[in-house]
Amino acid sequence: MTPAQVAARVEALLGLAPREAYGTLVVDVPREQWAAAATAVRDDPELGLVLFDVLTAVDEQQDGFDVVLRLWSPAGRHGLVLRARCPRDDARVPSLTGVFAGAAWHERSVAEMFDIGFDGHPGLTPLLLPAGFTGSPLRKDFVLASRAARAWPGTVEPGQSAEQAAASTGRRRTQAPGVPRPGSWPQP
Amino acid sequence: MGPLPEPVRLVLDAGRRYRLSVLDVGLACCAVEFVAASLGDAAVARLAADAPPPGPRTVDVMVVAGTVTDAMAPAVRALWEQLPEPRRVLSFGACSNTGGPYWDSYCVTKGVDQIVPVDVYVPGCPPRPAALLHGLRQLSALTTPDPPA
Amino acid sequence: MTGVPDDEAALAQGLDVLRRAVQPGAAQLPSRSRGVIALLEENCTVCMLCARECPDWCIYIESHQETDPPLAPRGRPRVRNVLDRFAIDFGLCMYCGICVEVCPFDALFWSPEFEHAGADPDDLVHEREQLRAWMWTVPVPPPLDPAAEPPAEVVAARRAEQRAGGGGHPA
Repeated sequence: MTPAQVAARVEALLGLAPREAYGTLVVDVPREQWAAAATAVRDDPELGLVLFDVLTAVDEQQDGFDVVLRLWSPAGRHGLVLRARCPRDDARVPSLTGVFAGAAWHERSVAEMFDIGFDGHPGLTPLLLPAGFTGSPLRKDFVLASRAARAWPGTVEPGQSAEQAAASTGRRRTQAPGVPRPGSWPQP
Repeated sequence: MGPLPEPVRLVLDAGRRYRLSVLDVGLACCAVEFVAASLGDAAVARLAADAPPPGPRTVDVMVVAGTVTDAMAPAVRALWEQLPEPRRVLSFGACSNTGGPYWDSYCVTKGVDQIVPVDVYVPGCPPRPAALLHGLRQLSALTTPDPPA
Repeated sequence: MTGVPDDEAALAQGLDVLRRAVQPGAAQLPSRSRGVIALLEENCTVCMLCARECPDWCIYIESHQETDPPLAPRGRPRVRNVLDRFAIDFGLCMYCGICVEVCPFDALFWSPEFEHAGADPDDLVHEREQLRAWMWTVPVPPPLDPAAEPPAEVVAARRAEQRAGGGGHPA
């Protein structure tokens, strides 16, 4: 099926129009219809999106989290991305383990990395993080402690020594990419 | 148990003069270079035994090849503790030397020397198979004053 | 089935290539092989680009400023940066080559030397003297592809020659 045909079929099936984004079709699904939408596109004989590819999440900061599901149809060789948004203070979506059994581990990983709840999941234990790890590493407000703790060699200006660079507090020094702004994280 | 008495160490190391039994703790991409070295290089095959050791009890050198994540660190430590004395560790590649490209990750141990004592560090990302040979030669120089070439 | 390679023959061929590639004595390292990074201090102006672009933060540079007398009698005194420390931590280095590529003054070069294992992580931090020593192992750049454009210096030299000899003919 061509992307246009897929888009038309999805719209007829779900009542939601997909958009072309990131080289694929993306449809934004309301949280309440998450499991129903996945079931519908999986069971539809025309779409046949039976292959569960990946379930992940995107931290949209003030706008909440996007839980992203990518499905593929081996017969029709077309794909679809479904996206559900949940607010930051109520970060939970229905679990898809009843629709795709393989989603269980993906949801465990998203839960440990983003601290998003999945209602109906049989056991949301951590998957990859070591025991005793605190925090949700893939949230955008999770500070990359190593970059904050280590002195960047690039703060030294041409003609300076390392001690001079460490002592200089004057104008704003060049910061490395990815280093959290001082003051944006709790100092020990 | 403390460090071995020197006479005992000399006797045990004498058996390592011509042949090292190498345990490859292959954690990531550097493991592939280790396999390439041990399979493809005649000089490595002369120095290190061809087949992997049947278990930790006969190992001379533990080669840590790959990124040591915080989740794998206890396993690497447990392996090291099973090696018989005098045991040596060769750190293969940037990740096991210092954390390498993933030094800033939230779940990477910045160098395997944080959990086990390391005798030789082989730099590279990944190091060439021939660099492993050079590292093993340097290691065998630690076991004996005049190792074979 | 025609066209499908024989598994055993292919495996034997692959292993043969591998054996030839890892023979240390007869090592025919490919051109532009990445072993260590060498520093030509004379070219370095301490612009700090390599240290700032390095993804591993493994280049440590310190310098001070020195003033040279002016070239002309009423000119300005010239200030230049002098390196105090230029160190690369090869224990951290991932041999990406970003520093070599970004250097605007061609002060960093790749050398194929790879036998520099150390017993201590500090042995893997190479200071200025050692980085200069690696310069003597930097190979001649490989020749350009026959179909490639000639190097910019050659084009410029030819143009200058034509202008001087040909008197106004376009290059």
